[in-house]
Amino acid sequence: MISGDSRFARRARTVLSLLLLTAGCCVPAASGAVDAAGWDIKRLMQELGQVKIAKGRFVERRYLAILTAPLESSGTLTYVAPDRLEKHTLAPRSESLVLERGQLTLESSEPKRRRTIRLEDYPVIGVFVESIRSTLAGDLALLNRLYEVALEGDERKWRMVLKPADPKMQEVVSEIRLSGSRNWIGSIEFLEPGGDRSVMTITRDVP
Amino acid sequence: MTVAQRWCIAAWLVFAAASIAVISRTTFTTDISAFLPRSPTPEQQVLVEQLREGVVSRLVLIGIEGALPEALARASKQMAAELRKHEMFVSVDNGDGAGSAGDREFLWRNRYLLSSAVTPERFSAGGLRARLEENLRLLGSPAGTLVRRIVTGDPSGELLHILERFEGQARPATRDGVWFSRDSRRALLLAQTRAAGYNIDAQERAVALVRGAFAQAGAGEMQLLLSGPGVFSVSTRATVRDDALRFSLIATALIAALLLAIYRSPLVLGLGLLPIASGAVAGIAAVSLGFGAVHGITLGFGVTLIGECVDYAIYLFTQAAPGTPPQRALDRIWPTLRLGVATSVCGFSAMLFSGFSGLAQLGLFSIIGLLAAVAVTRWVLPALLPAGFAAPVVATIGPWAMAVVRRAPALRYPLLLGVVLAVAMLAAQKGPLWSDDLTSLSPVPRSDRLLDQQMRRDLGAPDVRFLVVIHAPEEETALQASEAIGETLRKASQAGLLEGFESPADYFPSRRSQRARQAALPAPAELRANLDRALQGLPFRRQVFEPFLKEAATASSMPLIDRRGLQGTRMALRLDALLVKRESDWVAMLPMRNVKDAAGIARDISAPPGARAVLLDLKGESDRLYRTYQGEAQRYSLLGAVAIVLLLLASLRSLHRVFDVLAPLVAAVLVTTGVLALGGNPLSIFHLVGLLLVVAVGSNYALFFDRQAPSGSDRQRTIVSLLFANLTTMIGFGLLAFSTVPVLHDIGVTVGLGAILALAFSAILNRRDEAGGRPDPIAAGS
Repeated sequence: MISGDSRFARRARTVLSLLLLTAGCCVPAASGAVDAAGWDIKRLMQELGQVKIAKGRFVERRYLAILTAPLESSGTLTYVAPDRLEKHTLAPRSESLVLERGQLTLESSEPKRRRTIRLEDYPVIGVFVESIRSTLAGDLALLNRLYEVALEGDERKWRMVLKPADPKMQEVVSEIRLSGSRNWIGSIEFLEPGGDRSVMTITRDVP
Repeated sequence: MTVAQRWCIAAWLVFAAASIAVISRTTFTTDISAFLPRSPTPEQQVLVEQLREGVVSRLVLIGIEGALPEALARASKQMAAELRKHEMFVSVDNGDGAGSAGDREFLWRNRYLLSSAVTPERFSAGGLRARLEENLRLLGSPAGTLVRRIVTGDPSGELLHILERFEGQARPATRDGVWFSRDSRRALLLAQTRAAGYNIDAQERAVALVRGAFAQAGAGEMQLLLSGPGVFSVSTRATVRDDALRFSLIATALIAALLLAIYRSPLVLGLGLLPIASGAVAGIAAVSLGFGAVHGITLGFGVTLIGECVDYAIYLFTQAAPGTPPQRALDRIWPTLRLGVATSVCGFSAMLFSGFSGLAQLGLFSIIGLLAAVAVTRWVLPALLPAGFAAPVVATIGPWAMAVVRRAPALRYPLLLGVVLAVAMLAAQKGPLWSDDLTSLSPVPRSDRLLDQQMRRDLGAPDVRFLVVIHAPEEETALQASEAIGETLRKASQAGLLEGFESPADYFPSRRSQRARQAALPAPAELRANLDRALQGLPFRRQVFEPFLKEAATASSMPLIDRRGLQGTRMALRLDALLVKRESDWVAMLPMRNVKDAAGIARDISAPPGARAVLLDLKGESDRLYRTYQGEAQRYSLLGAVAIVLLLLASLRSLHRVFDVLAPLVAAVLVTTGVLALGGNPLSIFHLVGLLLVVAVGSNYALFFDRQAPSGSDRQRTIVSLLFANLTTMIGFGLLAFSTVPVLHDIGVTVGLGAILALAFSAILNRRDEAGGRPDPIAAGS
C-alpha cells in the first residue's frame, strides 16, 4: 500500500542509524606514533582498519525544523571486527539495533517489538554497510567510489566530509561530517536535504 | 434397396442434420459446476463462483530463473513494463512500486474516513497529547524519518494506524528493487487477468503474452516458470488435447488396419463408424436440449460410455454370412443386440434421476447415444452394406477361436480363485477404496502443484482456504456486517485462533462508519483549542500543525469514499475480489491467514440482522461436493445394476441363464477393481465410469455367448465377432493407459483390462456344449 514510501523512509532511517552505529566503533585498540609529515587519508584509513574490537558511549542530538529543542538520546556502541555492530539506546527509551552478518535486527522494549531485515533485500542499505565495512577495513578505493571524500586538518585533529555520489542516497543524506583525532572518531554529523541534522558525539569507554 | 430402407436413410439424415444444428448452438462448460447438486447451498454457489471467476482464478504467477540476480531483476522490470501495456491484464506486480503512488495518495487523502481509530476521544486535548508524546518518541526511533514527514498533517497517527492493519499481509523478499524468492534465485511477478479463470481461451492468450514478453526480456540460460489456475487449465487443455489426439490417431490407425484386414473393404470400414458418430451427435444434441448446456465431463465420459456402439457394426458385419443379404444376419443377431442395448440403457437410466446435473447429463447422453447408434445399426447399415458381404477372415480364424472357447472352461477354478483373491484384497484394503479428495481429479502433475505452492509461499500469496462469506441485500449492509465480523476476527486473532484477515471494509468502510468518523472530528475552533492545550510543554513548534487543522476541517465535510474513488489504486482490485454484486444480493468475503481453529472462529461469527455470514472452507467444501457426487454416482450405478438384473430376468425368464450372463460380468468387475486397488491408490470417478463401460460392453459378450446359435457356423461367426469387438476395445482403451493425463489413463486401464476379462470370463464360464457345433459347409467352403 503506502509501503513504497514507508519502506523507503525506513530504509533511509536505517542507513543513518547504521552510520551512527559504525562511526562510534572506531575506538583504537592500540595507538602508535605516526610521523606527522607522512599522515594522509591513506594512513588514516589504515589505522581505522586495524581496530578489532571497540566500545564507546554516545550522545546523539537531532535538530528538527518542527521542534523548538533538539531530541537527545544516549547509549552504548560496540564493534567487533569484521561484521558485528551494536547500538543500544538507553535513554530516553531502551531500543537496540544490531547488525550481524548482513542481518539487521531492530528491537524496542516499549511497545515490545522486534524486526529483522536482511540487507540484501535493501540494496541501498547494503551499499552503505559495505562502504562502512570497507572503510573500517581500509578500502579507500571503494570509499572513493561511493562518496566524494574531502579531508582537512592534521593527525591530531582531522575532519572528513563525505558527499554521496548516488542521487538516490543524496535524497537521504546530503553530507556526512566525521571528525576525530588519530584513529578515533569523536563525532559524526549528518546533514539531511531538508535542513534537519543530527550530531553524535562518541566518548571512549573507560575500562 | 427397398422403399422402406430409403425412408429410413432419409429419416436418419434429417435427424443427423437436426442434431448438428442443435449442437452448433450449444454452449459447452468446463468448470466445477458438474459437481454441483441441482439445488446448491449458497456456500456451494459462492465456492463455484470463486473457482470460476473469483480473483483467485485470475492470478498468473510468473518466475524467472537461471541467471544472476541482477540480470533476472532487469528481465523482471522489462517484462512487467511490456505486460502492463496490455489490456489483458488488470495488474502486473513485480515489487517495483509502480502504482503505489496512487495507493499512497488515496490513503493519505482519506485517512480520517478509513481509520477505525477515529473517535471523539482521540481528538480531545488529552487524546491529542498522548498521540503527540508518542510522535516525539517515534521521531527519535528508527521510524523517525517517516514520522517527521507526516506528523504535521497527521499528528493523531491515522495513516500509521491504517498501515499497521496491512502490516500482517506477507510481502515477498525484494532484491534490486523487484520481488525475489528467498534464495534470490528466482525473480517473481504476479499478474491478474481481466478475463475470468474459466475463460480458457482468454487465459491462453494471456499466457502467450507472458511468454512473448519473456522471449523479449529473457536472455541466455534464463527460464520462465508459470503457474496459477488459468495457466493450469490452459496446459491441461493442451495436454488432454494432445494426448487425446495422439492416442486416438494411433488407435484409429490400428483399429482401421485391423478392420480393413477383416472386412477387406474401405466402404464397410467407413460404414462401421456411422453408429457411434450418430450416437455421439444425438447424445450431445439431447443434453443440449434437455439442460441448456453440455458439460465437458459429460462429453468426455459420455463418448467413453457409448464406446460400446463401435461393437454394433462389428457384430453385424462379421456375422453376415457369405452369399446372404445382410438383413438376414441382422435378423439373427437383433434379439441379442436389442437385449444388450436395453441392458446398458437400464444401467445408465438410474443416473437420469440424480440430483447432480453432471450425472443426469451423463445418463441422458449415454441413453440417447446408445439408442441412436443401435437404430442406425438396425435400420440404416443393412441397406448400405454391399449385398452378399461377408468377412473372409472369419473362416480362417473361426476354427482356432472355437478351439480356444472349447478349452476355456478348464480355467473355471483358477478364475474362482482369482475372484476370491480380489474380494479378499478389497476387504483387506486399509485406506479408503474411493478417493474423496477433489484433487484426485486434478489433471495437473504433482511437480507443477509443488512449484505452485513454492511460488505462492515466496510471493506471500498463500492459497486461501478459509474465508468468511457474508450475504446481504445491500452493499452498505454487507460492509457493516464485514466491519462487525472484522471486529470478531480481530479478537479471535488476538486469542491466537488465526494470524490475520483482510476485509473489504479495510479499503471501503461502510457509509455509517465513515459518517461516524466525520462526526468524531471536532469543529475547527474546538480542534485548535484542543491542540493548543495538548501542545503545552512539548517542544513542537505550534505553527507546523496548520496542515493538520486545515485537513481535519476538510475531512469532516468531504464527500464519503465510494467505489469510484478507489479507481486507479491497487486496492480497487482487492475490493473487486472481496465485495461482489450478484443478481439479487451482495457478497462480502473476508479471507483469513493461517487459521488454527476454524471451528472456534465459526462459533463466534454472527452477522448483524439483515445479513448472513458463514465460514467457508474452500478445500473442505469442494471435497465434500466431490464426495457427494461420487457417492451418488456409486449409488445410481448400483441401482442401475439392480435394474439390469430385473431386465434380464424379465427377458430371459430363467434364473439359470441370468446367472450365466451375470457371473462373468461380476467376476470381471471384481477382479478389475482388485487389480486397480493393488496399486494402493484410491480409485476415482474415472475408474467408476470405466467399470460402467466394462459392464455395458461385457454384457453384450455374455449375452452373445449365452445365445442359442442356429448352426455351428453361426456360432463360430458370433465368437469371432466378439473377438474382434474385444480387440478394438482393447486397442482403443488400452492405448489410453499410456497417457499421462489421469482421466485418460484411469479410464484406459480400467476398460482395457475389464473388457478382456469380461470376454475371457464369458468363455470360461460358458456352459454350452461347443463340441457339437461343427462348421457348416457354406462357411467352410468360402
